[in-house]
Amino acid sequence: MAMKYLDKYPKNNSRHLWVLKSFYTTFKQIIKTTRHRPVTIMYPYEKEWIPDYYRGRPGLVFDKCVGCGICERICPTTCIEMVEVDDAKAGKVVRPQVNVGRCMMCGYCAEYCPTKAMITTPEYELAAYTREGLIFDPYQLAYEGHNEEMQVHMHEHLLSDLQKGITDNPVNASLVDRPALDDAKCIGCSRCAKECPVGAVEMIVVGENDKGKPIKRPKFDEAKCIACEKCVMICPKDALALKEVL
Amino acid sequence: MAPISNWVTFANPMDNPLYQFGAVYNLPYDVGYKIWQLLGGLIAWLLDVLVPGNGVSLWLVGNAVSNALALVLMIIVVFAVCFIVNLTMIWIERKVLGRLMDRRATRIGPLGYLQCLGDGLKTFLKEHIVPDKADTKGYMWAVSIIIGSSVLVAGMIPLSYRFFLADYGSGLLIIFGLFSIAPFMILVAGWSQNNKYALLGGMRAAAQMISYEVPMLVVFASVALMAGSFNINEIVGYQNDNVWFIVPQIIGFVVFMIAATAEAERIPFDLPEAEAELVEGWQTEYGGMKWGLIMLSDYFRGYVACALGAIMFLGGWTLPFVDDSFLPEIVFLLKVILLFFIMVWTRGTLCRIRTDQILNIGWKILLPLAVLNLFVVVVLKVGGLV
Repeated sequence: MAMKYLDKYPKNNSRHLWVLKSFYTTFKQIIKTTRHRPVTIMYPYEKEWIPDYYRGRPGLVFDKCVGCGICERICPTTCIEMVEVDDAKAGKVVRPQVNVGRCMMCGYCAEYCPTKAMITTPEYELAAYTREGLIFDPYQLAYEGHNEEMQVHMHEHLLSDLQKGITDNPVNASLVDRPALDDAKCIGCSRCAKECPVGAVEMIVVGENDKGKPIKRPKFDEAKCIACEKCVMICPKDALALKEVL
Repeated sequence: MAPISNWVTFANPMDNPLYQFGAVYNLPYDVGYKIWQLLGGLIAWLLDVLVPGNGVSLWLVGNAVSNALALVLMIIVVFAVCFIVNLTMIWIERKVLGRLMDRRATRIGPLGYLQCLGDGLKTFLKEHIVPDKADTKGYMWAVSIIIGSSVLVAGMIPLSYRFFLADYGSGLLIIFGLFSIAPFMILVAGWSQNNKYALLGGMRAAAQMISYEVPMLVVFASVALMAGSFNINEIVGYQNDNVWFIVPQIIGFVVFMIAATAEAERIPFDLPEAEAELVEGWQTEYGGMKWGLIMLSDYFRGYVACALGAIMFLGGWTLPFVDDSFLPEIVFLLKVILLFFIMVWTRGTLCRIRTDQILNIGWKILLPLAVLNLFVVVVLKVGGLV
């Protein structure tokens, strides 16, 4: 009603009295922030509440890791490097080492880890005195008290699954690919079998050549395979390729 | 050798034949007198112990020396009270602004009260710099007079019928006169710094303050007309006997508060130091403790503006329906702080306005309203209603 009147007479000076509305707003704000404390968090003394699935620095469960190198390849800032460590239990193995100075805490390494060995930890206070101090070796990456929620594994519904009417089988799409062999190119060198981190490749004799030597071809154990693409990369004749299993 | 109780007597200051304030009891003078009687009495007793029967001891606790030093100590007491009230006001401003912005404002000391002292120490430790091309005399004298007149006018405000420096018949006019010295000196300060921002700020300050003194003076006139006196005691007493002037002169109160906000250079009328356009306005080239004292004197002026509002419209140190003998100083300061809270609230609410708008409001809105208020007072006075 009053607004209508004021719109009709735009030059009326009493229009300016509507500035009083902002006084009401700010008074409400004073009451609100006096009753509840201000939102400021006095950081070094108080710390913010950390939500579930918080993505801090990456962590590693040493025993679960198979050293496949997917994290190294998926890392957007290439801060992960596979290094060889001489473990007391496992012997000489390859494990990721993270330069948290470059890490952008995206958590892709944990999302794509086939064995759920990479995790995202809630640690975010990572200051160090030197750049070398920021490089976390596989043992420093361990995190005490890790739990299921820190394995932020990726789950998707495949289109092929949905077409078949399956809705309760979420998978990590990139981990359902399987290596396929181009038989004509293979020379049976068995490097793929040696390279496979989970021992999913087995060389099988399929026949004999003209000289009486056995012809070997790799056989893939699809249940064991984690689609790490290591065999594809090591193959000297490009006989292997990852194909999506539909 | 006389015992110490002969020297430290804590006599009634009104028994002193040199007592300056006639028949009125003066609290700060009494405090100063008692402090001197303690200190001087102790010195006199010590001298008497060392050199029995000397004349210096008697001279130290005599009427003339007691009176002179009590006056000096009284000034210090009044200034200390002003200063502490000022620190409290700065603390309130920072805390309320912090709450308005949903953050925690000051942090040093209990409830952040000592932050201002920390800031003062910081500015005190800075180097004293005078710009090369500045007019040194104008530069130093202008800031001295601004700070000095602000402190003086803050000291002139009586906190109650017993807490005052001087009880003039024209107290309101003297306070207003001292309050109006600073704008001219702000122009001088802006000119002497040899800086275009400072000069613009000084000119804006002069234009704004001179135009807002006119409606303010009309409001002063209507208050004095209604009370029939310029004496602050009589104005407060008249309000206590009849009605607080905020009831018949609500227009005058609003005009006074707006004009006082402009006079104290506070948001939304802080054009002279518009930090977004003019660096720091007329204070640009002042650094270190000079700037710290300028900020402090800004708050002294804010205190004076709020105190005048409390004296002229809120009944000063009196409360209605209550015996006003209970701590009138505290009652008065609470009213001042209430008015200051309104100023801070305004600062947190409104944005800065343009120069033309500021002058339009001053001349086209506030002055007619002030004259209307004067007219209302004249009608009430002639009609015999008050």
